[in-house]
Amino acid sequence: MQVVTLIRNDEDTRLHFERSDKSVNVLDEKCISQLEAHLDALETAPPALLVLESGMPGSFIAGADLEMIAGVTEQAAATAMAGRGQALCRRIERLPSLSIAMVHGACMGGGLELALACDYIVAVDDKKTMLGLPEIKIGIHPGFGGCVRLPKRVGWVKAVEMILSGSVLDVNRAYRAGLAALTARPEQCDDAIGYLAKRGKVKSRPFAPWWLRLWPARELFFRQVEKKAMARFKHLDIEAAYPAVPATIALLKAIIGMSDAPALAREAESLGRLAVTPTCKNLIRVFYLGEALKKQAAVKRGRDAVATMQKAAVYGAGVMGGGIAWVASQSMDVDLHEVAAEPLGRGMKGIARLAMRKKGRADSKRLARIRPVLDESGLSDVDVVIEAVLEDIRVKRRLWASLGKHVRKDTLLLSNTSSLSISDMQHRRANAGRIAGLHFFNPAPKMPLVEVVAGEKTTPETVDKVCALAVSWGKYPIIVAESPGFLVNRCLMPYMVAALKLVASGEKIGHVDGALKCFGMPMGALELADRVGLDICMHVGTHLSEVLSAAGQRFAMPEWFARMVADGLLGEKSGKGFFIYEEGKQGDLNPDLARYLPLAGLHEHEGDADLGSEKTPMEQAAVVDGCLIPMLVEALACLGEQVVDDPVQLDAAFVYGIGFPPFRGGLLRYFAGRDVEALKQSIAAAGLPVPEKMDLLGDFR
Amino acid sequence: MSAAVQSGKKATGLPRDVVVVAGLRTPLGKAGGAFDKLGAVELGSMAMRELLARSPVSSDDIDQVILGNVIQPAEASNIARVIALTAGVPQQVPAHTVHRNCASGMQAITDAAEKIQLGRADVVLAGGVESMTHAPLLFDDRFRAAMAKWPRAKALPQKLSVLAELARAPWKPRIALLEGLTDPTVGMGMGQTAELLAREFGVTRAEQDAYALMSHQRAAAGWSDGWFDDEVMHLFAPPSYADVHRDEGIRAGQTLQALAKLKPAFDRPLGSVTAGNSSQITDGAAMLILSHREKAEAEGWPIMGYLRDWAYTGCDPARMGLGPVFATHRLLASGGLSMSDITRMEINEAFAVQVLACLKAMESEAFAAEQLGGKPIGVPDMDRLNVHGGAVAIGHPVGVSGARLVLTLLGQLQKDTGGGLGVATLCIGGGQGGAMLLEGC
Repeated sequence: MQVVTLIRNDEDTRLHFERSDKSVNVLDEKCISQLEAHLDALETAPPALLVLESGMPGSFIAGADLEMIAGVTEQAAATAMAGRGQALCRRIERLPSLSIAMVHGACMGGGLELALACDYIVAVDDKKTMLGLPEIKIGIHPGFGGCVRLPKRVGWVKAVEMILSGSVLDVNRAYRAGLAALTARPEQCDDAIGYLAKRGKVKSRPFAPWWLRLWPARELFFRQVEKKAMARFKHLDIEAAYPAVPATIALLKAIIGMSDAPALAREAESLGRLAVTPTCKNLIRVFYLGEALKKQAAVKRGRDAVATMQKAAVYGAGVMGGGIAWVASQSMDVDLHEVAAEPLGRGMKGIARLAMRKKGRADSKRLARIRPVLDESGLSDVDVVIEAVLEDIRVKRRLWASLGKHVRKDTLLLSNTSSLSISDMQHRRANAGRIAGLHFFNPAPKMPLVEVVAGEKTTPETVDKVCALAVSWGKYPIIVAESPGFLVNRCLMPYMVAALKLVASGEKIGHVDGALKCFGMPMGALELADRVGLDICMHVGTHLSEVLSAAGQRFAMPEWFARMVADGLLGEKSGKGFFIYEEGKQGDLNPDLARYLPLAGLHEHEGDADLGSEKTPMEQAAVVDGCLIPMLVEALACLGEQVVDDPVQLDAAFVYGIGFPPFRGGLLRYFAGRDVEALKQSIAAAGLPVPEKMDLLGDFR
Repeated sequence: MSAAVQSGKKATGLPRDVVVVAGLRTPLGKAGGAFDKLGAVELGSMAMRELLARSPVSSDDIDQVILGNVIQPAEASNIARVIALTAGVPQQVPAHTVHRNCASGMQAITDAAEKIQLGRADVVLAGGVESMTHAPLLFDDRFRAAMAKWPRAKALPQKLSVLAELARAPWKPRIALLEGLTDPTVGMGMGQTAELLAREFGVTRAEQDAYALMSHQRAAAGWSDGWFDDEVMHLFAPPSYADVHRDEGIRAGQTLQALAKLKPAFDRPLGSVTAGNSSQITDGAAMLILSHREKAEAEGWPIMGYLRDWAYTGCDPARMGLGPVFATHRLLASGGLSMSDITRMEINEAFAVQVLACLKAMESEAFAAEQLGGKPIGVPDMDRLNVHGGAVAIGHPVGVSGARLVLTLLGQLQKDTGGGLGVATLCIGGGQGGAMLLEGC
């Protein structure tokens, strides 16, 4: 099948990228070999003007084929793959023709590297036109010459920032950065080509900024870059977790000022090393997991119905409600309902904080779409209601009953409950089919996962709409069965309980949290408890141990924890929990803890501790295992009970719902790398039942 | 009204009954106070969005948007259009801004009513919006002229001469708010026109302060009784996003002693008009939805009241405060009404003395003979006039007040008197008066 066509017209010659086997253009084997053949032809009879264009709506070239990168296992093969791409770009660059890339739609990674080989890039004005080199997000760096050519267009400072953060530029930013020579509306494309054709071929591009030629400035600059890049990973062993970050910095530092040929060789060689790391494979896997959730069948079925939705009502202006309102405001008008003015004002203030962008300017247009409401107004034209009110079935039932009078019959009624039964909410409600669960994770604007829950009476159409709605807000929906705690919270509780047990047995709180952070978790289990709220943890834990009585002890919260809650130590929201919080920032350990945890070593400052009287701390790996194995057991139990159908989705849920380290590929993937027998022993040693579905891990290797 | 007959749009030849189906305003915030971070566009769009959400009228039903605004922000030309689009009114609905100084909000309503009478619109969203906080500071014109030369100055000597010119030009900003409150034709500030009335009608400082105290007491009572609760929306204003519901300027604990301590604001040391017995500089917005009876009944919309008639008149700019006397005279005369037919009256309290002077003029035989060519029109009882306080306590956001008076008067005819006729009237800087006749139902 033809995926790149060479079209020779009188006035110009075009390389037209269009294919019917995929929804976007990608540089795969087929595309690259056809391009190579076309280049043979172009080199024998070079045209005066060569235009690269795409016939696919919304996509120029989305990048190199990920499967190709995922599939490569030999370092030499990966280096050769990069070399082949580089050669392709170099041949375009060296053509005597004036070359222009008409970028209309996504132009990422290899796509942008191909465009960079042209004399000019024209960014065609469209929301979908985005240019960037996001390779770092899959654990590699640009390998088709992007590290060499991007700095020539946008200067080293901007290029280093773009390559290391993987950020993408829209049309205007691309023009301002100098990446695009011109922006044009779709109907101006021919004018743009004519205009640039007169400018002629670009002879040379000056090195910018000039001061990076000076050795001390260069050293200082890269030291800053390194500091900034590493700050995000301060707990991690960066070489094992994200080797691409130091490798990319080293590469850029090495090739600055170097001539093209050796620089390209360095780039290919470095890429070869990165492309075979487990991190790269895992990150690609995690990316695919997310894409699979976004493109699941339910989303496709619900998409049309959601496209016409214009207005949402969110009940409850707490942290969750406010976050959900902000999420919804990206595509809809939102009414934020609350019973009293004081919490509503606090909720609006929280949303205003979310609206702050860089440089202290708020996204006031989006903020203006959110209307704070104290009465029952504005419900008649609402398309979807999401409630995040008190976690009490009576409160929720009362809300749905009172709304029934005001909203349309087809308005979706969604509950952000984390533990209550949707079927209970549907009991004796008219039009119960439109009631479903849509469970966000805290903080809602940041966490990509949402759990979609159907009650007994929820119609399949409703589930489809909810999934599509979530995707329209940039979320990854996972359909879970209506079982207590659904999926993520249920698996999270044993993890937290395990951490509490470790702490009670004398492990230092900082050590437990630190070990988990070093493993790659975004925060430790005890900080997580503080952030979620100790009362909520208590509530969920008690609830789960009641309803899942067979496995009750896995969720049972210790007695001392209950005392903390009773004394008002609720975590971040009360300012004190395991740690002290000021304006949302984690501070020192809470000195009051000694009252609840006599064994816990509170002298965590160096020098304070009477080291002799304390037990030797557990190995980091043992702490991590101690917390994660109960989570694994619970996850496998969930699979056994079919809380989710597809085990692969489980890995996605942990990465996107609680921030399980993506470079480890997911919970099951991580444990799949372990020896099964040793794992079984550890499970038994922890006093847990060995799950039936243990063999499943074999599929995740 | 003959225009309506001649237009031939309506077979009956009679003007349609113009009704108000919904109305609401923001609380009024003191300048530089609660709404310091909100511009007129934000205030207006919040009020409009809230009104559309609360009323049964959907934004698709609106045929036109007309808003009054005095200090029109430079960044929002035709502010009515900017507000309508921000508030989610469909883009095919046209919008325009009107300006008749202090009566701009009333002008928007009467323009809307005339369009409805003429059959040119069925539903109009009308009101007023003002952020006096954000009245700009202006450069002196010489400074502007020098700045304008800068882009044209290419060579260094030219640039230097422009710089020198800039340096010599006055740097002190002109305060747009003060200049807007000054009548250029007679060279008097509004406060000075009030002082003139105080002298000519012999209104003492004590009388003015007593009236101001009453305004605060009435407004405070209205709020503590919950009378204003459905007229005024809750507004969550940045940066604190605390709930603002009550008008910010009302002082429940206002006393005569405190008022007496204030120094004259416009004519020192001999004047009698102070900050305490003048209207307050405030920010806010008021919005109403107007339609005609047939449409409202067909759609099942509630009717708050009827707009029966309206009149604008001109008078001496130096005595602009008497505008209500002339406008009310014309309004009553054209309807063959007398003051005793009026159940409730709202005279905008630009200044306490200006209301008191109007009352004196209304009952004065001499004034009537000289200025109105007839009998005095009579005065309303004090228990029918401004019963829930006025601009001295609540504030006078210039582009909003006309709409606020109509809104609050409709509320009174609905909630307090259960019907009857009401007159809302105000004085207009530049020497005009505006008055509207409303009927409750």
